[in-house]
Amino acid sequence: MKEGGGMKKKSSVLNNKSTTMWIYLFVLPTIIIFAVFYLVPIITVFATSFTKWDGFNPVKFIWFGNYIKLFTQPEFLISLKNILLWSILAATVHVGFGVLIAFLLYQKPFGWRFVRSVFMIPNIIAVAAWAVIYRFFFNNDFGVLNNMVRIINPSFDVAWFYESPYAFWAITFTWLFYAVIVTLIVLTDLMAIPTELHEAASIEGASSWQTVLKVDMPLIKNAVGVSMILSMTSRIAMYEAIALTSRGGPGDDTMSIPLILVNAITNMKYGYANAAAVAMILIGIAILFIVQKSFKMNEKNS
Amino acid sequence: MKKTLMFVIILAFLCAGTMLFAGGESENAASGEVVLTIPHYKAGQNVGGKFFLPQVERFNKKYAGTYKLVIEEIPQDSYQGKIKQLAQQNKLPALIEGADKKWFQDVVIENGLFFDMADWFNSHKAVKDRAIQDSLDYITTADGKITSFPLMVARPIGLFYNSTMVNFDKPVNEMTVDGFQKAMGDQKLAFMTAENAWTTSLFFTSIVVEEGGAEMIWAGVKSPVSDYTTGIWVRSFEKLQDFLQNNASANTLGAAYADAANSFMSKNAAVIANGPWMMGDFASGSEDKWSNGFTGDQVTAAMYPGNMAIFNPTGYFWWVPNNISEEEKEAAMAFLEFIKSPEELEAFMLVEGGTAPNLTASSGYRAKLEENRLLNEMDKAVNADTVFVPLVLDVMPPSVASEDFGRLLPKLIDGTYTPLQFGQELSRKAASALE
Repeated sequence: MKEGGGMKKKSSVLNNKSTTMWIYLFVLPTIIIFAVFYLVPIITVFATSFTKWDGFNPVKFIWFGNYIKLFTQPEFLISLKNILLWSILAATVHVGFGVLIAFLLYQKPFGWRFVRSVFMIPNIIAVAAWAVIYRFFFNNDFGVLNNMVRIINPSFDVAWFYESPYAFWAITFTWLFYAVIVTLIVLTDLMAIPTELHEAASIEGASSWQTVLKVDMPLIKNAVGVSMILSMTSRIAMYEAIALTSRGGPGDDTMSIPLILVNAITNMKYGYANAAAVAMILIGIAILFIVQKSFKMNEKNS
Repeated sequence: MKKTLMFVIILAFLCAGTMLFAGGESENAASGEVVLTIPHYKAGQNVGGKFFLPQVERFNKKYAGTYKLVIEEIPQDSYQGKIKQLAQQNKLPALIEGADKKWFQDVVIENGLFFDMADWFNSHKAVKDRAIQDSLDYITTADGKITSFPLMVARPIGLFYNSTMVNFDKPVNEMTVDGFQKAMGDQKLAFMTAENAWTTSLFFTSIVVEEGGAEMIWAGVKSPVSDYTTGIWVRSFEKLQDFLQNNASANTLGAAYADAANSFMSKNAAVIANGPWMMGDFASGSEDKWSNGFTGDQVTAAMYPGNMAIFNPTGYFWWVPNNISEEEKEAAMAFLEFIKSPEELEAFMLVEGGTAPNLTASSGYRAKLEENRLLNEMDKAVNADTVFVPLVLDVMPPSVASEDFGRLLPKLIDGTYTPLQFGQELSRKAASALE
């Protein structure tokens, strides 16, 4: 019996080793892909951000030179301010609107599937195409918006993307209410809430508002957190919507870090461009950290 | 079973497709025809494509079975960026038109990426003799290497005005900038602030020259300017601000080239600063671009106030990379020789204007020139006293010329920046780009 038991234990250990090996083997392609296509480029970006490099001639190590230059440029400080404002708007209005639509769709009113599909349409169109559409929409001469306003006020004359302070809001309007990703993430979590919880709340005499606040909201907390992370980090990387409309202007009013990065590439300053990229990565990580902490996303639902 | 059958069918299609493509390549190889596929912006809706694409067709027809040039369309704004990326990957196309000067000097010349055309020109003396000497001097290195194909046609850039909207009592080039503005009255210029603010920068050049900045501009093309706060610049910005606030077309804020052109061709602006290539838009066949009573025969060509024209021979034009095969180099040089042949130069000048100082024009060309009123006007607007100056954008670092100048203009227009502040901002951007 003892002998037999020992053999069983040995076989189990072997099985465990074999299983572990297979797990690593299956994960290996993902690790390789991650390392080659993400990790190595990120390390390269970090390393070259400490250099002066025109992309062709030998690399010159300049320590924090690029960062000092970056953080002392007014356009970078304006970019930071813009990112902060856009992030606040993304976390509140953008995500709030997406969550609201998710709750409306969750009630499954008549035609909700159609509304969901229509709400998806802007997401199918490329950002660049949207930017061009908005350039026409906000055009001072023949744009829909100004011509509508001129019905009431014939002398109305605003070049939205090219005048302060309108340019910032015109850029903001290009993404503020397109919250379909938020809606889909939140709606998926709402759909996963067991009906028993709502029934129990109803038996306990909870009102609709109380059910939303005390039952639904805590259960979709992580989905809202993820939505916030996605929408706020999208603001850091926002390029086409600006480059194809205001191009960061007037002056530097709608400047963003990706524009600084592209300008640096135009001037063949790859080290400086990569310092801007590192700044973007660090801001992204900071947002991730803050939202995760605020929403206690790593803690299990009690 | 059905799934297996479907898989086999898809596989068969994939194999057939692959073989079809492979067949195309081998057909070219078997016929001995050297095919050059190059990205270029002079295609599609680009104004330069009107002449360039038919020219490529003529080349392909002439050298059918020997050489063939295939154009891959790319937006003009992306062209230089793509060339830089391809250079990094050691995959430059066989023919490249133009380059950022600094990049060409620091990267292409420094690393010997160009095909030295010196031997080729020595064996093609007739072609070399047609080159504009200033251009040839600029592209020749200290050790005698010829880095790119020199210019053969000088195309002075001036302006066009609608003679039904403004009535100048003397030729524009005989006026001062102030006199021109006075003669304009309430009429508008088709300015731009989007893209690189092209039409604005052209007219601004004439202002800078009148303020005494010609030499400064010539010096700037050799070494980019980083200080825009000197007296000449500030006075010029002040004058520009005056024009932008009082004589700019209504759509100037945010206007791209197409908007400026549309403004002129719809009689919303009486004047547009632009090169002779725009004449195609005023010829019959372009009626679809005209509106509001505009017709091509209302347009008159002129040079700028102060008898000034914009022309810059200091630049790198068509060049051939060094890392391609000998056959490809031969094909590339055959194309360049073709487009710079007397017949093609004349055809080019008849469509896009310009003069070839070292080419003896044929009688046919002269007769056709006489027939073309606008070309003739432009030709006659240039005289022995005309001052040729490069564009102000040529003195700015690339990102300042392509992005910052236009982006800062709205703040000069609305008065947020004084002329001095505008110069200070431009200086800061330039210093940062040159650092």
